[in-house]
This record gives sequence, C-alpha cells and structure tokens, in this order.
Amino acid sequence: MRSIAELQNQVRSGSQLRITNHEKDSDETFVNMSLYSGIVEYFPEELVVTLKAGTTINEVNQILGENNQALPFYIDNPDKTIGSLYATSGPEFSDSVLGVQIINGKGELLNFGGQVMKNVAGYDVSRLLVGSMGRLAIVTQISLKILPKKIAVKFQNQPSLKNTKPTLGLYFEQKLKKVFDPYGVFL
Amino acid sequence: MSVISQLTKALPKNTVIIGDENTRPFECDGLSVYKQKPLAVVLPRDISQIKKVLEICRKNNTPVVTRGAGTGLSGGATPLEGCVVLGLSRLTRIISIDAENKTAIVEPGVRNLAISDAVEEFDLYYAPDPSSQIACSIGGNVAENSGGVHCLKYGLTVQNIEAIKIITIDGEELLLSRQDKGLGLLALMNGSEGLLGVITEITVKLTQKPQLAKLVMAGFSSVRDCANAVAEIIKAGIIPSGLEMMDKFAIEASEAFAHPGYPVDAEALLLCELDGAEDTVVHDLNKVVELLSKATSMRISENEDERLLFWKGRKSAFPAIGRLSPDYYCMDGTIPKRHLADVLEQISNLSEQYKLRVANVFHAGDGNLHPLILYDAGRPGELEKTEDFGMDILKLCIEVGGSITGEHGVGIEKLDAMCHQYNSAELDVFHQIKAAFDPHSLLNPGKAVPTLHRCAELGRMHVHHGNLPHPELERF
Repeated sequence: MRSIAELQNQVRSGSQLRITNHEKDSDETFVNMSLYSGIVEYFPEELVVTLKAGTTINEVNQILGENNQALPFYIDNPDKTIGSLYATSGPEFSDSVLGVQIINGKGELLNFGGQVMKNVAGYDVSRLLVGSMGRLAIVTQISLKILPKKIAVKFQNQPSLKNTKPTLGLYFEQKLKKVFDPYGVFL
Repeated sequence: MSVISQLTKALPKNTVIIGDENTRPFECDGLSVYKQKPLAVVLPRDISQIKKVLEICRKNNTPVVTRGAGTGLSGGATPLEGCVVLGLSRLTRIISIDAENKTAIVEPGVRNLAISDAVEEFDLYYAPDPSSQIACSIGGNVAENSGGVHCLKYGLTVQNIEAIKIITIDGEELLLSRQDKGLGLLALMNGSEGLLGVITEITVKLTQKPQLAKLVMAGFSSVRDCANAVAEIIKAGIIPSGLEMMDKFAIEASEAFAHPGYPVDAEALLLCELDGAEDTVVHDLNKVVELLSKATSMRISENEDERLLFWKGRKSAFPAIGRLSPDYYCMDGTIPKRHLADVLEQISNLSEQYKLRVANVFHAGDGNLHPLILYDAGRPGELEKTEDFGMDILKLCIEVGGSITGEHGVGIEKLDAMCHQYNSAELDVFHQIKAAFDPHSLLNPGKAVPTLHRCAELGRMHVHHGNLPHPELERF
C-alpha cells in the first residue's frame, strides 16, 4: 500500500510520469494507483462515500450493497478503479462528484470540494478534472454522492458517446493543464 | 475619449446609464449592507452589444461586473469602484423549447420561474428552485450554481444545465455542452461568479412534473430527535423531494407570519415532501410515517392547497424572521448531517455569547444550514459583531467537514471565510484558473477568491478537517 508522501515524492523527483492501474507498469515512470485503495469514509445516512482512487468498483459495490445503496452512474467494467472512471468519464459521472484530493505537478496535496452535497466555495475543480485522463494531476481521493439502489439504477444507463470539442476548448485545456502541472510532469 | 463616451457612442440610446440617481438601483445586490456606485451601468439587448461593452472595457482596462436580477446574497454583483455594471436583465427571450428532449434554450435574463411557466403546457418544469425564483435570473443561477429546497432529489443548477454559451473578456465565444469530451469546462463555469466569462445563452434541462406530491409535517420535542428522523428516512432508502428542518424560533416566526398551522410548541419541525408516481408516493409515505415514531405531532397534506400552505411557512421564513428585527444576516454553511444537533447546540451557545438572537432553517436533506442572525445595523459595532458571529459559525461548519457556502456563493461576503476553507496552494490554483480565462483580471475582479495577501493579513491558519496543513512546519 502506498502513502501520500511516497506519491508526492515520486512527483517531485519524477520528470515524466504516467498514471496507471496495471501491476505490470512497475518502473519509475509509472504511478501505479491500484496500490492506493480503500474506503476512507462512508456514512449511509449522508449518501456520501469517500474513496481512495485505486479502489475497484467491485469493492465499492459490495460495501454500498450492504446498505442497499449504489453508485448512480454507468459502469462499463466493475474491475475498474474509481480513479480510472473519474479520469475517463463525463458529466454523467461528475454529476455525482462532491470532492477530490489531488497531487498537482508540483507535488502539492490539494483538496477541492468536500463531503457535502452543496458546496459553492471556490471554482468547481472536483468536477473540472473529471475526464482529464490523468494529465493534470494525480487524483488520490474522491467523494461521491450515492443513492438508494432502486433509485441509482435509473442513472446507470450508458451515456451517449462524447465527441464534440468546443471551439477553443483545446486552447483552454492547455492553459488549465499548466495551472495544475506547470512543469509538464504528467504525460 | 472617456469610457462612458465610448460606450454611449457604440450603443443605442437608453442602453448606457450614468449619474448618481440613475445608477443608484445598481449600487448593491441582495447583500445590501455593502454599496458602491459604478462608473456606468450598461443594459444591452443582444450579444453583439455585450461584445461591444467587453471590447471597450478591455481596451480601457475597466473592470466589468455582470449582473442578473441582483438578488444574490453574497455581493457577487456589488459594483466595484470605477467599474461598468453589465446588466443582462433585458435579455429575456425564451429562444426555443424542445418538449420531447426536455430542454429549453433561454437568454440569461429569463427569470427562473418564467422558464417553468413557459413549459407548463408540456407538463414540464425547471427543477432548481432558489427561494428568490420569482425574481432571480437563470444566468445568475448558473453563475452562482444556485440551489433551493429540492436539491437532494433534483440536483443543483450544475446538474440541470445541458449547455451554455459564454463570451470571454477577449470577445471569444465558447459553447460548452454536456456532450463535449475532455475537461469539465461546463461544470467549471457553474458557480464561477462572473469571474471567467459572460454567460449569454443557456440550455436548461426540464423535468417531468410529478404525478403526485405529498408533504408530511412533523413536530419534535428536541432537535436531536428530528435530526435522527432525517437519518432514518434516508437510511430507509427514501429520497424525499424536499426535506427541511426549522428550529423553535423559526417555527414561531413563520407561524405568526404565514399561519401555515405549524406546531408552535415543538422544538423542531420537519417538512418531508415525497413526489413521483402515485403508488411510490403512497408506499414511501407509509414508511415515513412509521419512521417518525418520535414525532410529537404530525400532519399530511390532504390536497395541493394544503401542501403549498405548509411550504409557505418555510418559504417565507426569512421575511417572517426579518419582521422581528431591524436587520438579519443569513448564513449559508453546509455540514455533514450527522453533526446537525451538535452544530445547532454550539450555534446556540455562540448566540448567548454574542448576545445576538439566531433562528435556524435547514435544508436537512443536503446538509445546508441557514442560521439567521438578528441584529440592528443602527447600533454602532453591531454589524461587526454579527459578522464575527457568522464567521464563528462558518469555522464550525469547516471543522465538522462542511463548507462555508452551499448555494449563496462567496462574492465579497465570504472572502475572509475562504482563507479558512482553503490553503494558499489551493487558493493559488483558483487565481490561476481565473488568469487562464481572464488574464488581465477585468471580470468581477477581487470577488469569490481572496488574495493570498488578504489571508496572510488575517493571520489565520487554514484548518481542514481539524488538521493543520503541513504539520511538519514550524508555526510562527
């Protein structure tokens, strides 16, 4: 099991890093997040769960299932980690995101959003980074809104394929990449 | 040529408003304790006029404060010295309604409730319902990521927006949609408080009107019993469309004002609304009644009139409490629900300590607390004392893992509180995000995110979840 301090050190000393979940990606150019897993906090009456990024959907489903609750978004493969879904999903996923903890390209540990349903303090970084493909920061921890199982299933349909890119979208994405990763550590 | 002359020359008659008398209505928003006269107010009628305003302001390095209906409670639309207020209240067209796909395209000045009125014939409505919905504009709703009393089930503004068009300070038009791949730029714009761009068009998601809605009203002899009931309802797998709590002071004030028939002897009141298909509502209703075993009184709305009457008390709680005092200050912290009873107890202690009365209304379903501090601005020092009390409440919210604002925004009001919620590295990220969209800091500059200098001046230490950041560092 890896620690935050280890991850921060890897970012500070690494020049080019790829975030991964594969055990075989073991040399120093990879940040293997599958080793950073587990449920950080879960109170069923809050409808919120906080997970380390390497936690697999199977693990989450099991513990939520014990309380008749579930993740309210599409999951193509429950062997995936929550961090991997976060990195590759769109608004249907970010609708359920409440907060993230990240390590930016400078190795700083930062928290955005929180463990509450409503939070409009500061820009919504925890939803901005959904779909960022691990190129802006290491996402270490994610807080999600969950729902009772019978309601959550209504939100689990496969979303339409995202294929548009706003004009200038790339331009602003590049600028935002520099905000989080000024030295270009994350490939 | 002065900025005013340039604006007047470039825009049609009656678009640029100047002079002390004429600009006075724009000198504040819903946070009326802070006032500032702008250089000018511009009320454009279309996007090309907005572009002209931005171009002139950019060339003259003049700050721009975008304003919707001016109902915001945190000073997001408070003018800045020497600024141009860009009021979007004349952009009130509903451009199109797509009933089949349940969306509507509207201009930013359209009132929240006007959207629901326009789509009523299709049995649809726009779900987010901030209590100012009769007046507030949809553009302002997006800028603040507004909430309301139905967020637990139907989400905030951000979950109910399909696409927006914005214009950056450089005059670039950007269409952001839920269909885009890549970063969540659309989500970023929600709640960005007019600092990143000017919203010129919004595609909202519409919701099917529920078949049936029932409201359960239950009194409790203690706040703790009421809070436990909330937890029990949610643990039972029920998602009420509204789940509201009020304390004794708020119950009494609302009853005296709106006469909804609230139990004035109760220490806490729970309003639990269930909506949806008839059989689901009936099923959930029976379960809720079963779970409210500790209630000292209970009523279920018999019909729509009664349901709306029960709501009326809650929805008019602010003016009802406002009647009892020359001024009141509304807080907007959020907390994990399990800490509710403890937090209310501490607020009550603070109330005694500061010798200021406080009434509590609470969006119990989503943890959003609205303590209303009663004060008299006419008494020297009382506003400052009230703000200190408010800050103590917000710190309490942060300590238990919550946030300083759930739906009202930071604006100018909560800049100091932001220093407590975020550390300097996090605030720095916010400043850089602004710079990515607005490099010369002309859009609502100084709002929403405090300067690092300001936080340092306060000499306050950031505390997150009770832990100091970088505990390895020596403290001065």
